[in-house]
Amino acid sequence: MSHLDLNDVDVDGAVREAEEAVATDTRATFFRKAAITGGTIGSAAFFGGMLPGIAEAAPSKKQDIAILKYALTLEYLEAAFYKEAARDGGLTGQQLEAARLLNTDEQTHVTALRSTIRQLGSRVPSEPNFDFKGTNKGDKFLGTAFVLENVGVRAYLGQAGRLKSKALLAAAASIVTVEARHAAAIALLLNPGAFQTGSKSISPSGSFDRASSMKKILGEVGDTGFITGS
Amino acid sequence: LLDHIKLETLDTDGALRESAEAAGLDRSAFLKRGAVTGAGFIAGGVLFSGLASPAQAAISTRNRSKRNDVKIANYALTLEYLEADFYRQAVKNGAFANEQYRVFAALTFEHEAAHVKALRSLLGKAAVKSPTFDFGDTVTDPQKFGATAQVLEDTGVAAYAGQGPNILQKPVVQAALSIHSVEARHAAWIRYLNTGGLGETNRLPAPKAFDTPLSEKAVLSAVTKTGFITGS
Repeated sequence: MSHLDLNDVDVDGAVREAEEAVATDTRATFFRKAAITGGTIGSAAFFGGMLPGIAEAAPSKKQDIAILKYALTLEYLEAAFYKEAARDGGLTGQQLEAARLLNTDEQTHVTALRSTIRQLGSRVPSEPNFDFKGTNKGDKFLGTAFVLENVGVRAYLGQAGRLKSKALLAAAASIVTVEARHAAAIALLLNPGAFQTGSKSISPSGSFDRASSMKKILGEVGDTGFITGS
Repeated sequence: LLDHIKLETLDTDGALRESAEAAGLDRSAFLKRGAVTGAGFIAGGVLFSGLASPAQAAISTRNRSKRNDVKIANYALTLEYLEADFYRQAVKNGAFANEQYRVFAALTFEHEAAHVKALRSLLGKAAVKSPTFDFGDTVTDPQKFGATAQVLEDTGVAAYAGQGPNILQKPVVQAALSIHSVEARHAAWIRYLNTGGLGETNRLPAPKAFDTPLSEKAVLSAVTKTGFITGS
């Protein structure tokens, strides 16, 4: 199919970057690169034990499991973020409702991913310890939730093309849109009356969502310092 | 294999389980209702130009191929044509319940038009042309506009979810999904506006923890019933 030109869709190169960045890394160079970016050290060390298949270029069952564990960690983080926000965040009204609803969805994703990893015969990573540093409380809640949901969208999009299993791709496709719905709902709560364009909008990257590589996401999550131990 | 993420639960209408045989049955069912033309394929009396010919009408859910990717992309393109023209006409008519609906329609039109352009570019000469549309009073009546937009966006989400796993080429999967999640953002937005906030459970921006995929057959059936597509 000679007419397929990824460049037309992948306006900022994010899709290509996601495809290549992780796939071309050997395990050793991945960690070296992760280490030299400073903020990534903690997360690389933390995720390292969970991601045995990260260096594999070609889709495989092993890589699928690695991707599931990566997704599980992000869902653990989101679920814990909302659970704590609903309990201790001092939220009221629609914000409290959002924290409760989104916690339910993320917890459902956690349960599904745990059970899938188990059924694929792999050890299920336990929930890490988190410290959200007050970012899920009061007037900080929506801003942080907005970032987390959009990270979730980019993370799933970054892995979708790397999954070997059709069933897992179907599952990822059915989760990524829920993360996108969450992101849009949070954007509306943040700024309901404003014209919805730009980086704080319903669709911060415009007509096409961006994909981010595992490496990039791990760096961003590492930088937050939210994961304090396993 | 999978427990919570099971095809049986996700795939309520059999989108992912449709076998090649089933696709064959679909074709004959379509043939009973429609006629073959050189330019396209009549389904339920409506020319659905996303389907190139009866022999190629059904997207294979079993055998992934580059040729199948073209069918999927043209199917997506046809749905994007429909959405883009729906919002274009609504914006032109300006019949919105309030300013927030106008903003929603204007920005969503921009996104859908960009999706059309990208898919056309992706397909090159293989791209189907836009059908003609008649949206009736759904683009003039503010209430009907909101309700119809919600159905269209939710259907768009379900249609992409249904085809993602059928795509062979990984870059095409990525491209499709980067559109897919934007449709979900639109769906959440219009649901929020229609509900006036987070609202009752069945009208939430994200009504379920997993979005449900729809098969080509189910989507075509739903689109045909609207009568929005009037010709090629």
